[in-house]
Amino acid sequence: MSRRISAAFFPALLLALVSCARKSVQQAVFDPSTYTELTFNDSDSMDPAWSYDTASDEVILNIYEPLFIFKGSSTKELIPLIAAKVPSRANGLISADGRTYTIPIRRDVTFQDGTPMTMADVRYSILRFILQDRDAGPSPLLLEPLTGYGGTRDSKDKIIPGIFKKAEQSVQIHGWDLVLHLPRPFSPLPTILASWAPIVSKQWAIKHGDWDGTEATWKKYNNPQKQTSPFFEHAFGTGPFVLVRWDRNTHEIVLRRNEHYWRAPAKLKYVIIKGIDEFETRKLMVQAGQADSIYATQDVRAQVQNIPHVDIIDDLPTLEINPIIFFTFKINGTANSFIGSGKLDGQGIPLDFFNDVNVRKAFAYAFDYKGFIDDVVNGKGIQPTGVVPKGLLGYNPNQKTYEYDPQKAVYYFKKAFGGAVWKKGFTFTAVYNAGNITRQSLLQVLKHNVEALNPKFNIEIRPIDWPEFLDSYISSKLPIFILAWQADYPDAYDFAFPLLDSQGSYPGPQHFADPRLDKLIDEAVAQTDPAKREKMYWRIQELEYEDVPNLPVLQPLDYRTQRDWVQGWVNNPIFPDSPYGCYYYPVYKELPAVLPAKAGIRRLDPGLGRGDGRAHHA
Amino acid sequence: MLKFIAKRLLFLPVVMLGVTMLLFGALQFLSPAMRASLYVRDPRQLSALNEVIQKYGLNKPMPVQYWIWLKQVLHGNLGYSETAKMPVAAAIRSFFPATFELTLVSFIPILFIGIYFGTLSAVKKDKLLDQTTRIVAITGYSLPSFVLGLFLLMIFYGHFQIFPPGRYSLNVDLLVHSSNFHHYTGLLTLDAILNGDFAAAGDIFSHLVLPATTLIYISVALLLRITRSSMLEELGKDYVRTARAKGLPENVVVKKHARKNALIPVVTLSSLLFIGLLSGVVITETIFDFPGIGRWSVIAAQQLDVPGVMGATLLSAFLFVVANMISDVLYAFVDPRIRLN
Repeated sequence: MSRRISAAFFPALLLALVSCARKSVQQAVFDPSTYTELTFNDSDSMDPAWSYDTASDEVILNIYEPLFIFKGSSTKELIPLIAAKVPSRANGLISADGRTYTIPIRRDVTFQDGTPMTMADVRYSILRFILQDRDAGPSPLLLEPLTGYGGTRDSKDKIIPGIFKKAEQSVQIHGWDLVLHLPRPFSPLPTILASWAPIVSKQWAIKHGDWDGTEATWKKYNNPQKQTSPFFEHAFGTGPFVLVRWDRNTHEIVLRRNEHYWRAPAKLKYVIIKGIDEFETRKLMVQAGQADSIYATQDVRAQVQNIPHVDIIDDLPTLEINPIIFFTFKINGTANSFIGSGKLDGQGIPLDFFNDVNVRKAFAYAFDYKGFIDDVVNGKGIQPTGVVPKGLLGYNPNQKTYEYDPQKAVYYFKKAFGGAVWKKGFTFTAVYNAGNITRQSLLQVLKHNVEALNPKFNIEIRPIDWPEFLDSYISSKLPIFILAWQADYPDAYDFAFPLLDSQGSYPGPQHFADPRLDKLIDEAVAQTDPAKREKMYWRIQELEYEDVPNLPVLQPLDYRTQRDWVQGWVNNPIFPDSPYGCYYYPVYKELPAVLPAKAGIRRLDPGLGRGDGRAHHA
Repeated sequence: MLKFIAKRLLFLPVVMLGVTMLLFGALQFLSPAMRASLYVRDPRQLSALNEVIQKYGLNKPMPVQYWIWLKQVLHGNLGYSETAKMPVAAAIRSFFPATFELTLVSFIPILFIGIYFGTLSAVKKDKLLDQTTRIVAITGYSLPSFVLGLFLLMIFYGHFQIFPPGRYSLNVDLLVHSSNFHHYTGLLTLDAILNGDFAAAGDIFSHLVLPATTLIYISVALLLRITRSSMLEELGKDYVRTARAKGLPENVVVKKHARKNALIPVVTLSSLLFIGLLSGVVITETIFDFPGIGRWSVIAAQQLDVPGVMGATLLSAFLFVVANMISDVLYAFVDPRIRLN
């Protein structure tokens, strides 16, 4: 008996499991009304005034609507969405001094329950966005152009007196016109309004316990706890989809078509955006047809490019510079394990090692940009000519860039510190955030090339976890560090300020300041003549080339992995989480006329890889 | 017995306090900026790092932070888990049923296969069955769970398109979140049956198959080997020889005499296995996209989500003490010579 039981046990178990499972799975495959996107990231909040991460912003883009939206794949051309017109000097909606924007608003927009949107909603949405101003949030992006302040609180975390009045005065409504009064001209404003501060319902917000829109109560809602907002996990917008559920347990967001949408309803009935950490699981799901597109980065490209009925849409432009090598001009020597002896004695580096421009130039010439792009990222990107990426006004294709030139590297190393660097050599540790293979490879290329110049040169490479990286970065302990920058909105200012201005995100910990750059960056953002602006950004990048505070290594090209039945997807690099994320309004699912037997590679609008170096969008 | 249980339960808060103090002590070694990394994931937020440290009180002395946390806990508030994006208590309530369901589905076969085949293996020592279970045990014990998990996923889901990852399919997803579906127990398979939807129950169960198979295969190895060796030891003892000499049938000798005595180490190991499964099986949950407590607690630890880590630790400590208590009680049942006092 025992033997019979044991002999039959495993096959019987397997058979039972197979038979009970097969039916239910087959039913779930290929639902034309439902789109399933598998991603890696988890959303942070559904609140448009809080969210500052691409995973949340992608959902928000489909639920809420900003005043304008980018046309197709363009990052320059705006079309009105909630607004009736895009303001320009030509149509007279931007005043001659560039400080007043008049934006006519559509009268036929409705929220997801069919209630009409009013001008009070429009004003409330913008004020709420700038006044919520949570720490490390997106509010300053709009607060600065509208009020001239970079935050609502001072360095001691106290509310700046009069900030509410300033905000209130800058956002006015006259009939169906929204009128914005700026303290000074701020050219990128329309592109910011196309990316941020979408319209929420004032009535819904108040009903659910959010700010009532008055001066008396606004402070209570300034810098709040994330989860206290009704917008945190609920949504009520005018967009083509409504939020059904954000299941934080299964990392799943379910959107349903907005049947009261003021334009024609979306073609898809449901959109499911699901976070799955394991790449192999994502791959198997798109292979099985249970997912329509998945998050897949360059390092796993080989694994997705031969799956039947799965397309790779290749060479997609991005608006990011990644990676960038930053030099720290004044290293913090306290308990610093990255600088060896802390002296220029061959066993370490002094704290001002990178303050010598010759050292920075030597490193700039020692890095093999072309080799890195060709070999490490398989040619999927270009070397930037400065901090302004290709595709934005201010990009200068003729700007001189550093190239791998060992002789020049030797020349500058010999000049550095009056020849002491070459004579004595140096040792320091360069770190990268653990798990980032591209940055690890970058450091290996740099190490190899620098050490080849002089046997006394020594660079140790070490991975450290993100928390330790942050700690070391903020305390200026890293001699060099590698990070990236991705556009908040498509304008050169969004790159020049954080990367080169002494008040920006990176120059602070670098202890880098060039008053000429600060002045030019400030003037360029206020310049309303595009031709003059372009010249100013060109000059900014000339100064960057002289100063060498950082080395922009790559503006990457990306790719998207999706089933061949996905139709209508448009790549716009400024859309959140592009090209993995999606604005789902134009998307639908339909089998192609002739099903390709094998996996396909499509190249849509290659842009960055070729052309004249100007507009990379269709 | 009641006195014993009460004493063990009284011991519980002490264990929990000790564990959390130990954890907070370990956090002393991490700087405020490191702990702020939880709130600053994007380089665009780097300039606001100091504000984040201020806001969340990360620069306060660790005893002060611990006291704040402890006061919260005493008021029934375990804090807010940034990684789960919900209060810690809600996160435990949300993730634990999935893990519990997976544990139940895995643990019952583990016990059955482990004890049944472990016993048979000892009885049929060096025969084909013993050799087979030995191979199963060795491969199961030496196979990393992520290798086995991915392997199973590729074969069954990738090739045969059965047993998908996740906890349920889309149609069931919509069903279990609808107002028509009552969550009686949190164990979705059982809830689906209680709701009278057997198709949904089948779907949910099919999602459990591969993670459960992985866990069974990996975990059963140890139980098989322990049962076998314990049985071999008992079968060689005098009382077994006496029982056989008295003419008792072999079936009775093995099952009533030897196996009962061989179960003491098996109970100990089973309780440890059960706690291990209940505390969450990180890799299996990650590979199969199974929303359990293990995956959450590891993400919380990786991202220095202090309230999340504390919550998961408290749960583990609680489970450990309770499971130990249950196994001690079981000893008395298995072997009447053991007295709890």
